[in-house]
Amino acid sequence: MEQDQRTIVGVYHLSKTFGKHFSLHDINLQVANGEFVFLVGPSGAGKSTLLRMIYMDDVPSSGQVVVGPHVSTRMKRGTIPELRRRIGIVFQDFRLLDDKTIFENVALALKVAGAGPAEVKHQVTDILMRVGLYHKRYDFPHELSGGEQQRVAIARAVANRPSVLLADEPTGNLDPVVTRSILELLFKINAGGTAVLMATHDLDLVKSFGQRIIYVESGRVVKDKDMIYVGDLRERIAGSAVSEKADRLKDRDITGDGGHRR
Amino acid sequence: MNLNQLRYVIDESMTMISRRKAANAISIVIMGLSLLILGVFLLVTLNVQVVIDRASEEMRIYVYLRDGTDAAAARDIQMRLLRLEGVEEVVFVSRDEALSSFRATLGENKDMLEALESNPLPDAFRVKIKPEYIRSEYMAKLTGEAGKWAGVEEVRYGERWLARGEKLVKGFYLADLAIGVIIFLSVIFVIANTVRLTVLSRQKTIEVAKLIGATNAYIRIPFLVEGALQGAVASLLAVGLLAVIHLFVKRYLPGVLFLRGEVVAGFVVFCALLGAFGSYGAMRRFLKV
Repeated sequence: MEQDQRTIVGVYHLSKTFGKHFSLHDINLQVANGEFVFLVGPSGAGKSTLLRMIYMDDVPSSGQVVVGPHVSTRMKRGTIPELRRRIGIVFQDFRLLDDKTIFENVALALKVAGAGPAEVKHQVTDILMRVGLYHKRYDFPHELSGGEQQRVAIARAVANRPSVLLADEPTGNLDPVVTRSILELLFKINAGGTAVLMATHDLDLVKSFGQRIIYVESGRVVKDKDMIYVGDLRERIAGSAVSEKADRLKDRDITGDGGHRR
Repeated sequence: MNLNQLRYVIDESMTMISRRKAANAISIVIMGLSLLILGVFLLVTLNVQVVIDRASEEMRIYVYLRDGTDAAAARDIQMRLLRLEGVEEVVFVSRDEALSSFRATLGENKDMLEALESNPLPDAFRVKIKPEYIRSEYMAKLTGEAGKWAGVEEVRYGERWLARGEKLVKGFYLADLAIGVIIFLSVIFVIANTVRLTVLSRQKTIEVAKLIGATNAYIRIPFLVEGALQGAVASLLAVGLLAVIHLFVKRYLPGVLFLRGEVVAGFVVFCALLGAFGSYGAMRRFLKV
């Protein structure tokens, strides 16, 4: 499937079943280059499954995922590593290697991509400076706080300058203050041109930022793009009133390219 | 895979092995001792083979002539013998020479021969065969043929001795083969098991490496290196222990030979390949990449 040049991640009519149960049902969504998108839904809605389809850790039962030049239905196993280097992935549990220093954890991403030692050193130094952890480069993950560990995980995810960063509940284990700083870091990365697709169950957390929100519930996209629906969603989740921020954002077109194509 | 990646992969292999020193050391010792058993058998086989070969080289065929065969007929037989394949030398042994050498062999008992009125021994040819032709089947064929010639009374050689020697060497080879198969299988098994444990202990690393775009080769090579190194080190341990045993035995049996250099090298390379193979097998079952 050919997709718009501006689209970095495209999901088309994607369904995933485990046994007889639908985990994802006819999902359609596109993320533009440089866009910041929140994927919001309650636990079990299928957010992580959807992300796994995007980084092609699992295959759709039907439908298609397109990431840059990679098309899930035409994907050869051997090209998955190439895809993964275009995508940065961050998880709730950080997934750092406990037996490697912070520097080595970040360096690993560059090493698997085949960067030379000088480049590895230069790049890792640069990234650690940007996430503010250069002074902890010789520490091991367990010596760092949760927020610091997540910063390292983000540094590792962006080491290869991916076109898109997928974050699966990156703030799930962090307190509100640290959460805020992690989100700021993600915005900073996004400002550098990397598209970010962040899954979270916490609508209250993300609704105030004015970014595009895709709402997923029971394996379906129930609302996308238009922030006017945020209020409805809030009612679905908490039964509370429309937030004023959602109101303020209601007619804004976040994508900047006039919407999304099939 | 570029050179940088290859270097990182090798670094990674070394780190991985050094992190699991104890487990690796234990399996290496187990394999080294198993391979030592095989080494001892190979060494014994080699020496038995050498002893039998040397003895066989001394073996001669005796072609006894009929009484009354004249010199011309005898020369004719000699020429025909020389034309046979594998014959190196044909020496005439007259009945008188035979008697005197017999007398010499008898030593103190030579008086026994005084009872004889005439020399009962026939004239004969002593035939020397090229070493590579000293095999039961060929010797039987050769003697069978010469035995049919006119003027030839009988052809004899140490057929029973030769057959026994050959059987012995064959037995050793079969034993080596059987032991070799069992021990090599157990080496593969031990290595596969150690690598399996390494794979399990590194699940998280493998998972992370995959997520950040490591290729299958990048993930697998360290395990192959681990297996191959284990095999190689275990075989070197076995060869070292075998050399010690050899030195010890040599004090009592000075002629005992050691395995040739290329056999040792081949053994080490083969064990390294077995190790890589065992590792590959373990990864196929336990490493989903």
